[in-house]
Amino acid sequence: MTQTATPAKSTPGLFKRNPPIAGEAEAIEAAKNGDPEAFSKLYTLHKRRVYTLCLRMLGNVSEAEDMTQEAFLHLFRKLGSFRGESAFSTWLHRLTVNLVLMHLRKKGLNLVSLEETINPSEEDAPKRDFGSRDPVLASSVDRVALERAVASLPPGYRMVFVLHDVEGFEHNEIATMLNCSTGNSKSQLHKARLRLRELLRENSEIALTEGEAA
Amino acid sequence: MPLPSDINFDTLKPEEFEQYLPDLFANGSGKVSEDPRLKQFLDNHPDCAALVNDLETIAEHARSLFQVAADPSDKVWQNIQNKLQQGGLEENEGPELA
Repeated sequence: MTQTATPAKSTPGLFKRNPPIAGEAEAIEAAKNGDPEAFSKLYTLHKRRVYTLCLRMLGNVSEAEDMTQEAFLHLFRKLGSFRGESAFSTWLHRLTVNLVLMHLRKKGLNLVSLEETINPSEEDAPKRDFGSRDPVLASSVDRVALERAVASLPPGYRMVFVLHDVEGFEHNEIATMLNCSTGNSKSQLHKARLRLRELLRENSEIALTEGEAA
Repeated sequence: MPLPSDINFDTLKPEEFEQYLPDLFANGSGKVSEDPRLKQFLDNHPDCAALVNDLETIAEHARSLFQVAADPSDKVWQNIQNKLQQGGLEENEGPELA
């Protein structure tokens, strides 16, 4: 099977920057024919990517594992429809994102439109002031602090932040995925970054206070 | 708020800047701090410049989230295998794929 590479992006995402993997095409064909070893191989090749994406989008280990399970079960069900028109990893990424979105809609978000559901409540919204200058923010941003801050974002903010800043999707792609406007995607991303700034500043202030008390 | 085509960056107020910031980040390279049209404004408004630097720092560090990926626990594959053995490949509700 010939697989077409996806076009390069300026900020490629977790899936998009990965070229086809050796042995993947053969495993896909074998899995289409019901070969359990091939299923196992596809799982081994892609479990980390799928789980990491779910974890970033959901911010919860238990839900992320449940969605990883669902993603692979859907993958095996739908594998026959994979024609190789896009990279397998891109196809799997789309499937996973769609499943997570469907999961979030089912979690009590189904009574309002998605445009509304990706807007968090006012109390979760970032403050609109610029705040004072914080020369220590850049030095205090480490991966663990950022991961923790991202995990505590409201779901709508986290979704757009992960898709844009982590996964590298463009606003028009996110708008299509989330069924919202491009302007809404831009606005949500900006609010997510503002909220992260607040969370990281709070984190650095706590660290400073604890350092002074020690 | 979308960035007007006839905007005058020399007379921009901080409140207006904040409204246009999502579009300023979305357009161009995403490096608002390096936008020559905004150099004078950011020089004159250090709090706005600090905000821009902080948001750019956050966006840059977001990419580092790629570097460490986690594995699901072994029970995930066990559950998948159990479902497959129970006929879990039968069609049920799920997202449509192109």
